[in-house]
Amino acid sequence: MAKNEVAVVGVGLSKHVSKRRDVNIAELVWEAVSACYEDAGLKPKDVDAFATGNMPAFEGVNLPEEWGAGHWGAYNKPLLRITTGGTTGGSVAHGGYYLVGSGLFDTVMCIAFEKQSDGNSTMGLNTVALADAAAQLQLGVDPGFIASFGGGAVGVAVYQASSYMKSSGCTTHHLDKVSALCRNNAALNPYSHLKQPGLTPEEVAKTTLLQYPIRFGHVCPATDGACAMLFTTGEKARKLTDKPAYVLSCASASDEAALVGISGSGTTNVDPCEQESCKIAAARAYEIAGIKDPRNEIDLAEPYSPFAHQLLMFYERLLLCDEGEAPSILDSGSMNLDGELPVCPSGGVISTNAIGASAMERVAECALQIMGKCGERQVKKDVHKAVAHGWGGAVNLNVVAVLSDTPRR
Amino acid sequence: MEYKNETIAIEGSWNLASWEWKFESIALIRKTFEAMKNERKLMANKCPGCGRVYFLPKPYCLCLSIPDEWVEIKDTATVTTYTFTGAWAYEGIADDEVSGTPQIFAGVVFDGSDTKTVTMLEGIEPEKVHVGMRVKLKWPEEVAGGLTDLAHCVPLEE
Repeated sequence: MAKNEVAVVGVGLSKHVSKRRDVNIAELVWEAVSACYEDAGLKPKDVDAFATGNMPAFEGVNLPEEWGAGHWGAYNKPLLRITTGGTTGGSVAHGGYYLVGSGLFDTVMCIAFEKQSDGNSTMGLNTVALADAAAQLQLGVDPGFIASFGGGAVGVAVYQASSYMKSSGCTTHHLDKVSALCRNNAALNPYSHLKQPGLTPEEVAKTTLLQYPIRFGHVCPATDGACAMLFTTGEKARKLTDKPAYVLSCASASDEAALVGISGSGTTNVDPCEQESCKIAAARAYEIAGIKDPRNEIDLAEPYSPFAHQLLMFYERLLLCDEGEAPSILDSGSMNLDGELPVCPSGGVISTNAIGASAMERVAECALQIMGKCGERQVKKDVHKAVAHGWGGAVNLNVVAVLSDTPRR
Repeated sequence: MEYKNETIAIEGSWNLASWEWKFESIALIRKTFEAMKNERKLMANKCPGCGRVYFLPKPYCLCLSIPDEWVEIKDTATVTTYTFTGAWAYEGIADDEVSGTPQIFAGVVFDGSDTKTVTMLEGIEPEKVHVGMRVKLKWPEEVAGGLTDLAHCVPLEE
């Protein structure tokens, strides 16, 4: 249990597009940070500490706070940099929760971003994948051979998708439906990247097959964007706003990499779609949050899903239904904005992926939905409790946060 | 001084494979490769704690024991996941290897082991591949003693 109640009192997002050539990294991040200060009605002097994160080396700038800190109001303040691969933003938000919840700091600004157009994300990914590739190189395999096995994030996702589809009964039509759901939601979100109002599953099914079963329409874009969130104590939050979003719990768990075959740590022995660590993290997060029946108590979910099948897979792994049940729940319409348990009302990672920021934007969307600040994409039902998820690390880590409109009693 | 915005290429190479990576798994896997080359056998390591059999071998087990018993496994396997290349590959990485036919990649579990190996499937249409199907390793005529020896499997007729 946290020593202090933790609440979100402000959220700021930059514009998200594929190439922001009009601003540099510090300026891009400032868009989100300044919006966050404004949203919370606070100034940099009110902030006691900062947590920041992005993917290491994706922009070719390894320590961005060296020249960003001053720009964001963090100059000479306590600053913690957290980078955990795809989960970076989620981990930064967890950092904010721990910094405030521990009682060490009252008000913490969390910043997560990615400006992919400044660098080369494939090159950046190599810094994460080097250990795995190096093990294979040392066994005398030539790099072309490794690449032909389907490298990069897609190469990981396709094996996970095939395996998930077999175990759950999910069809390619379900993948098309997930994309259509998310991109239509994204069309209502001013901060999303790929807006495709009216997109139908049939149109998604006609997009180019990248690698079975993943089509172009099932994959996230590469985005420039930033997200900032202000965390403070429950006591201060209630003075600042009528409706803060309380962070009831954060939990994470690491498993083996969701790869097939050998990785840096040796031969993997988990099925890439099992995601046991997600189930463990979710169960722990619900327990700390005092949630006994997540299926009925959770009103909204933001699973991390850069690939279509992951929305359904992680919905199951977040213990929101039985395994194999998510495809039929999608069919029932329950995941829609006006459904019983709306999923990815923001449009999800499949519509917007500023990698380092993505997992934090899941937490941000839950907070915004609870605070009722989502405009056109505000879900129909009242949101009392929401779950935000991130998946990443070196495809081994799951992070889960539970937010609520009321503090835990 | 006039500033010119240009990209220049500097000749050189950075051979990552020439570095001495100290993964414990490498030495173990090389033992398996030697057995493949010298005896045409697939050797895996078994955990005394939980009984899991690792192929390729692994220096430590999920249950935190050391899998130090060597066992021979079969060269028949079951497909647990698969993919085949889409449009990008036809003009892809190596034209001569791809030549317009989708390549099928699969995660397979060799009989007698508990872990997956990546391989390519031959002699079957992509549409006919399914999770659970049975395959057999297509041994190369000359076994080189490396990962590429495991790169081809064919459907098993039972």
